[in-house]
Amino acid sequence: MTSASVDTSRPILTRRAPRFGSRPRDYIRIGLWISLFVSLVIWTLPLVFIIFTSLKSEPDIVGSPVFSLPLHPDLGNFAQAIQDGNLFQVGTNSLVIALVKVPVGLAISAAAAFALARIRFRRSRILLGVIALGAMVPIQVAIAPLFQIINNAGLLNTHIGVILPYIGFGLPYQTFILYGFFRQIPAELDESARMDGASYWRLFWQIVLPLSGPALAALFILDFVATWNEYGMALVLLQSQDSWTIPLAIQGFQSQYTSSYGPINAFTIMSVLPVLIVYLLFQRYFVSGAFAGAVKG
Amino acid sequence: MSVPTRAPAAPRRSWVLRSGFLRALPFLAPAIVAYVVFVLAPMAESVRLSFFEWTGFVGTPQVFVGFENYVRIFTQDPVFWTAFRNTLIWVVLSLVIPLTISLLLAVALNRPLFGRNVFRSMFYIPGVLASIAVANMWRWIYNPNYGIGASLGKAFGLPWLSDIQWLGNQDIALYSVFVAFIWQSVGTNMVLFLAGLQAVQKEHLEAAKIDGANAWQVFRNVTLPALRPMTVVVTVLTFIGSIKVFDLVVGMTGGGPAQQTQVLALWSYQQSLGNHQYGMGNAIATVLLIVTLIIVVPYLIWTARQEDK
Repeated sequence: MTSASVDTSRPILTRRAPRFGSRPRDYIRIGLWISLFVSLVIWTLPLVFIIFTSLKSEPDIVGSPVFSLPLHPDLGNFAQAIQDGNLFQVGTNSLVIALVKVPVGLAISAAAAFALARIRFRRSRILLGVIALGAMVPIQVAIAPLFQIINNAGLLNTHIGVILPYIGFGLPYQTFILYGFFRQIPAELDESARMDGASYWRLFWQIVLPLSGPALAALFILDFVATWNEYGMALVLLQSQDSWTIPLAIQGFQSQYTSSYGPINAFTIMSVLPVLIVYLLFQRYFVSGAFAGAVKG
Repeated sequence: MSVPTRAPAAPRRSWVLRSGFLRALPFLAPAIVAYVVFVLAPMAESVRLSFFEWTGFVGTPQVFVGFENYVRIFTQDPVFWTAFRNTLIWVVLSLVIPLTISLLLAVALNRPLFGRNVFRSMFYIPGVLASIAVANMWRWIYNPNYGIGASLGKAFGLPWLSDIQWLGNQDIALYSVFVAFIWQSVGTNMVLFLAGLQAVQKEHLEAAKIDGANAWQVFRNVTLPALRPMTVVVTVLTFIGSIKVFDLVVGMTGGGPAQQTQVLALWSYQQSLGNHQYGMGNAIATVLLIVTLIIVVPYLIWTARQEDK
C-alpha cells in the first residue's frame, strides 16, 4: 500500500450533486438513474426480506411468501430472540471487548507509527514492511497455535484472552495507516518543538497526536466495527456460551433453533443494529478510513 | 535489531535524523511484543507443527514426521484439493465479478445524479455487517422451503424454481455462497473506486472530448489509466479478503454438502481443531501462508519503491 492520507475535508458520501438542467443529455441521465434505482432495490431486498420475516408469526412465515408484507406485525420474535439468545449478555461481552481493544490497540499502533515515521533508525523500513505484512496474512494461518498459547496461559473464554490477540492482529493495519499520516505532518514542527526543548513524548502527545484527530477517529470507528464483527478468532478462543460475542451468538442461535425462522432473523437484525447506527452516525469516517488505506497523499 | 547509529556530526541534518533505535524503542516495544507474541510466533509455530504429528491435546507427544503431512495433504486428502480448487475459484471470481460491478457503480455514481449520496450509502451498508450475519441472512433467503426461490416458484407456478437446493446442491452451493459475498463486498470497493476517481483530472476529460473522443474512448484512455493506482490497491485488498474466506462458508454451508464448498482456511481449521490432526491442519495453513506471501511480498516491495520515487 502506498502512503496514506485521511482526507476528511472532501467526504465523498456527503458532497452535494448539482440540480438537473434541461439539456437532452438529461435523458441519458434519467435512464442511468432508473437503472441505478432498480439495482438499489434489488440490493436492498435481502435486508427487506429479513425485516419482513422477523415481524411475522410462525404460521405466517410458513404460509406466505417471503416477500409478502407482514400484515400483522408482531414484536414477539424480538422478545423471544432477546431471551433465548441471551442478547444482553453477549452484547455486553462484545461491547466490553471492543471498548477495551480499540483504544488500547490504537494507542499502541500510534506509538509504533510515530517511532517509524519520526525517529530515524536503521532498518526502520524493513521493520515497517514486516509489520505491514501482518495486515495481509490470513489469521487462519496462526489460529491453531494461537489457541494453544491462550489455552496455556489459562485465558480461554476470557475477555482478555481475546483482546490480546485482537490487538496483535489489528496493529499492522493501523500502524501502517498512521505511519502514512504521520509522515505528512511537516518535519519543521518537530524541529521547532525541539528548539523549545520538547522530548519525543511531548512531541508525540502534544504535536503529532492532536494533529491526527481525523485519522484516529476514522480508525477508531472502522476498528470498532471490525472488532464487533470478528468471528474466526472468537470461534476458537471463546468456547463457553457465557463468553460469546455477538457473531458467535448469531451462529449459535442459528444452530440451536434451526427452524425458528422468526426469532433467528430478529436476532440477526438486533445484532447488526449497533453497527448500522455507528455507520449512519459516522458515515464520513468510513469513507475517509477507506481513503486512508488506499490513496497516496 | 540494529544498534543506534551515531553518525558523524552532519550539521545540516536535523536532530531527528541523528537519533537511533534506542530512542524509538519505548514507542515500538508494546507493538513489537504484541505482534511477535500473537502474530509472528503463532505463524512460526504453524510452520513448525506442520512437520509434526500431534493431536493438539496438551501432554500428548509431538512426533517429528518431516514432510509426511505435506505428502499426505497433496496425495491422500481429496478434501484438500477440493478446498484448494474452491479457494482458487473464489479468488478468481472475486477479482472479476464484484470488482467489475463496483467499478461500474463508482463510475455511475461519480456523475451528478439526484440522490446519489443515498445510493452510495445504501450500496455500502452490506459491507459494515458482520460476515456471519450476512451468512445467516442469505441462509434464510436460500431456504429450500420458504426462501426466495421457493416463494417465487410457488407464486408463479414454476416447480423447477422451488426445487432448486441453493445450498444443498453440490454443483451450485459454492456459487450461491459467492452471491452473498458479491452482495457484501461491492459497496466497499465502490467507495475505494470513487475515491480513486477523484484523481481523474477534469482538464484531461475536457481535452479528450474536445479531441472528439466518444464516451468509451474517454473512459478507456483517460479514466482507467488515472484509476490504475487505486485498481492495484483494490485488487490486492480483494485478493487478501478472498483467499481467507471463512465466515461466509461456515455460516452458510459449513463446507458441505459433501465437502463441496470446503475452502483452505476452513479445512485447515477443521483439521487442527475439529479432527485433532494438528500436523495436517498446520500444513494446510502453511500452504495458505506461502500462497499469500507469493502475492503480497512483491506488492509490498513495489509500493515501497513507488514511495521512494
